[in-house]
Amino acid sequence: MKTQYLLPNKFKKIGWLIFIPVSLLGILWLIFEPLFEQKLDLLEFNVFALVSGGILNDTYVFQVIENNILDEFIGVLFIISSIFIAFSKEKTEDEFIAMIRLESLVWATYINYGVLILALIFVYDIPFFWVLVFNMFTTLIFFIIRYNWALNNSKKSIENEK
Amino acid sequence: MKNSIKVERAKKNITQAQLADLVNVSRQTINAVELGKYNLSTILALKISSIFGQSVDEIFELETSDW
Repeated sequence: MKTQYLLPNKFKKIGWLIFIPVSLLGILWLIFEPLFEQKLDLLEFNVFALVSGGILNDTYVFQVIENNILDEFIGVLFIISSIFIAFSKEKTEDEFIAMIRLESLVWATYINYGVLILALIFVYDIPFFWVLVFNMFTTLIFFIIRYNWALNNSKKSIENEK
Repeated sequence: MKNSIKVERAKKNITQAQLADLVNVSRQTINAVELGKYNLSTILALKISSIFGQSVDEIFELETSDW
């Protein structure tokens, strides 16, 4: 079946190979973030900022600033690898799998925004900032979990047939 | 929608996996269609019918609940 916008099947494996180490690095970063920021001077780079600034200082546009690039590195690779995993074709891609994919995407979007609505109502200040940080990634994560679960269920159904 | 794929497969003595290969879909898809869990596309219905050498409405049949 011809499918639009999906990546070739081999991207799924590449995705997992990047996703697993980057997730582990991400978890380490979350735990040891203050330590990383101080010790990892070698990751301090001058970067071009379209917009920058803090709560206490002014907002700058089109400035070169000094920044530890570890979190940017983790974030970008996490998103790219998740997209590889989520949107690569199956070995035999067909209309039934396309339906499972669509259903899972709808489901993941509902769950993601459901969680975000709850967080909007019940979480405030700095913890809410962290909710937003995680929310950048959760749609893809919820989709990957739900899609693979549904695909596995359909495979199990075959085994029961025998 | 009812279908007689299972019966036709038995007549031709082919498995779900073999039928899946013949019409170029995954095994899950044939399984889900056979169990009535998934309403297949017109193209796939035509392909399956042609494998069994029959017309679509000999293999697939509307049920009242489809209306």
